[in-house]
Amino acid sequence: MSARRAPVPWLSVRPCRALADERWTVFSVERAPPAAELTVHALLRSEDGDDWEACGHYVSDAAGAVDVCEDVCVGGTYSGVEPMGLLWSLRPVPGSRPNLRLRKKDIGTPMVVTISLHQGFHTAGFPERRPLASLAVERWYLAPGVRRVELTEGGVTGTLFLPPGPGPFPAVLDMWGGGGGLVEYRAALVASHGFVTLALDYMAPKRSAGVVSLVGNDYFEAAFSVLQSHPQVSRDRIAILGLSFGASMALGLSVYSPAIKPSCLVCFSGSHVQPAGGSLGDIFAEFRKNSKNTRYDEEQQVIWRDLLLPIPSDPSKKVDVGRLCCPLLLIVGEDDQNWPAEESARDMKEMMDRSGNGHLLSVLSYPLTGHLIDPPYSPHCRASNFMTTESREKFVVLWGGQTPAHCGAQEDSWWKTLDFLKKHLCYGPQSDITSCP
Amino acid sequence: MLKAHSSVTALLRYTGISIPDKVATCRNITCMQHLFGAVRWRSKFTAAPLLTAQPARALIDEQIAIQGRFLPPHWPVTVRAHMHSEEGDLWEAFSHYKTNENGVVNLTTDHSVGGSYVGCEPMGLFWALQPAPSAREGLRLRKKDVETPYVVQLSLWEGHVSSSKRPIEDEQTAGRLAASTVERWYMTPHTRRVEIRQNGIVGTLFLPSGPGPFPAMVDLWGMGGGLNEYRSALFASKGIASLSLAYFGHKDIPGPLDELNVGDDYFRSAYNLLQDHPEVCGERIGLIGLSYGVYLVLRMATHIGVKPMCVIGINGPLGSYDKFPGIKSGDVVNYQMLDEHGNFSLRHFTMPSMIPKENQIKFEMLECPLLCIVGEDDYNCASMETANEIEEILRAAGKAQLFTRLSYPGAGHLIEPPYSPNARVSLWTVKPKKINAIWGGHPAPHAAAQEDAWKKMLDFIEYNLRK
Repeated sequence: MSARRAPVPWLSVRPCRALADERWTVFSVERAPPAAELTVHALLRSEDGDDWEACGHYVSDAAGAVDVCEDVCVGGTYSGVEPMGLLWSLRPVPGSRPNLRLRKKDIGTPMVVTISLHQGFHTAGFPERRPLASLAVERWYLAPGVRRVELTEGGVTGTLFLPPGPGPFPAVLDMWGGGGGLVEYRAALVASHGFVTLALDYMAPKRSAGVVSLVGNDYFEAAFSVLQSHPQVSRDRIAILGLSFGASMALGLSVYSPAIKPSCLVCFSGSHVQPAGGSLGDIFAEFRKNSKNTRYDEEQQVIWRDLLLPIPSDPSKKVDVGRLCCPLLLIVGEDDQNWPAEESARDMKEMMDRSGNGHLLSVLSYPLTGHLIDPPYSPHCRASNFMTTESREKFVVLWGGQTPAHCGAQEDSWWKTLDFLKKHLCYGPQSDITSCP
Repeated sequence: MLKAHSSVTALLRYTGISIPDKVATCRNITCMQHLFGAVRWRSKFTAAPLLTAQPARALIDEQIAIQGRFLPPHWPVTVRAHMHSEEGDLWEAFSHYKTNENGVVNLTTDHSVGGSYVGCEPMGLFWALQPAPSAREGLRLRKKDVETPYVVQLSLWEGHVSSSKRPIEDEQTAGRLAASTVERWYMTPHTRRVEIRQNGIVGTLFLPSGPGPFPAMVDLWGMGGGLNEYRSALFASKGIASLSLAYFGHKDIPGPLDELNVGDDYFRSAYNLLQDHPEVCGERIGLIGLSYGVYLVLRMATHIGVKPMCVIGINGPLGSYDKFPGIKSGDVVNYQMLDEHGNFSLRHFTMPSMIPKENQIKFEMLECPLLCIVGEDDYNCASMETANEIEEILRAAGKAQLFTRLSYPGAGHLIEPPYSPNARVSLWTVKPKKINAIWGGHPAPHAAAQEDAWKKMLDFIEYNLRK
């Protein structure tokens, strides 16, 4: 029998179809050349048609095997023992349009990431290279059975996500920040963990007769009421999850609106600095008033964090969080260049300690982490194109953060957020007796 | 749920309930937990029952871990699975469990005490699926479109329930506590499906993701005809290219649909197509056959001038019971192939002594390892007798080292990829009248055989095609 060609290397990744926040339990290379320099490469084509890539350098063992879950990555777009590094270190390929941000719009289809294995250590030139092996993995924002329902009820616009089963379920009102329209992926992912979620569309300004106006507080009250009265929602187990403007609105509404009484609040990258009892439009007005505090970095990227600084001592200029009645989780990036989240969190803690409701506050503060704290394994976006809501001007905004730390914060804060929601929506008031698995 | 050292006093304080006199004297934790659990579950501050299944999007041969949580302790519950086949029939399975002291039921470790299966069967809800009482008769569950998943609904119910007691409708929520959905796939992402209609060959080629070249299998089924793709799709998902080859009863093969019209040239062409394919490693090709397909792969390995590296035969004969080519499925009409109950069975005709000598495989010509998989409850083919005979012939020819047998008590004819329901009997033909085929196999042993045989098949292929 003539000599046979050696078997080709084989890549295995499991689960090959996973939720976007799921870790791989298997990521292995077999039958590669022994003690060889190898590169694993990831490629994702976004819905906008841009290519994103990442790579990691590994050395196979004597049997020609690599275990990405356990082995050390010695170079590439990430390093160390980082099983999920190929996802969170994704970046636009050279030659891409500048200042991109990766966000999935159609959450009914998965992100498809092509993972390939290459001989040698490489950081570029992958399209021209023939891989040793390749496969594709799917990353879904929706678990099977979770229903997506477009909502236009009682004047409220948004998207409702319903887990399978009879319910009733605890619920989460999900509010993103400015720019980019209605973002559903976080709400879809939270729903995949057993909550009814409402991704609320509230940023779209109304234009009539040449006047631009934003929604009033009654809009949010209507949204909260829609959730409360849904037949599959436990009306007394509703939380609000907000990021940026969404976090600020959540704080103000929870304190000042008699109709909005959430079981708990999770606020990412937000601030309590706003006219007390004011509206979304009032928050925008504050920013406009202080626009002279806008700064620019060496690449002329916009830093807006000073627009709300210094934190005022005048109580009429901030939400009186001392009156908050429910647990609050603040998630803060210490390198947030867009909002003064860290200073705000510090001030909120002082206010709540003074008021005697400091026990309701938990703060997760992450060094080298920026403003856009996304679900885990999302690529880090340090700066991106941004169009303001009212005036529709275009900027390149600096969000901040250093990739490895920022992505570590995304993962850590996500699971702590889900634990916090489960604790306060599912298990009710804590005692020293009950501890849930 | 409750820490073991919790005091009864603390429990009373937390619940704020007064304990009936008859319980007041019973101060041990177990008693309190039972009472407390029932109260706690119904309070508004307790987690609602939850049913989880991981992974939620799995390959067909992957185990799914199903768990129910936040239930009262030591409580009877039912887990139900239901799905619709591509033909629209409802299939369902039930299993009866009791939660543990933490109010948890874990199908990976717990024992079902009734329903569609008993005992510790992590995947029982899938292999024990049966047509619902309202469904048509004589059904067999087989996926035609392998690029889409089976979507299976799982649900958790109060007490021990099943369809035989009362029909369970989705809208009927009384007793239904929680639900979860899983998808079961025959293909990984980027596994490629390529229709083959060239050189007269009718088949579907499945190629693994990646550049290759890959080892490959030719995949043949039985005289049911048509084209079954699901085993090949799974092989390709594991890095083995696989050609599902039609040879009978397929509209794209010229000639009468009820007659086997292709001969050695056809199978040689198919083998060559694989061998010459740029993404296939031509010297790493194996063959797999089920039922009549076993005869065909053995004929390919010994008679037509190709040299596969290994052969797998599942429940097949050692020769053709009728002339090849030219065999007709219409011969069933003669009722010679019906057993004493009027079911189609080839057991009699596939006994080694019944196979005409000139139609028997010349095993002394076999040059590669042969894995014989036998269901000992096979009612359709004399599989055990055949395996015995093959082993004898190979031993006599000094080739005993080529022969490996896997023999499964209680398993029937249709040994397929794991966690699929077995059909002991299914509809074979309606012309000239309705006739069922009897395949054999009892649910639990057949399921165990499918799971074990699949693993061993993959190991056999890996060993022989990758070294």
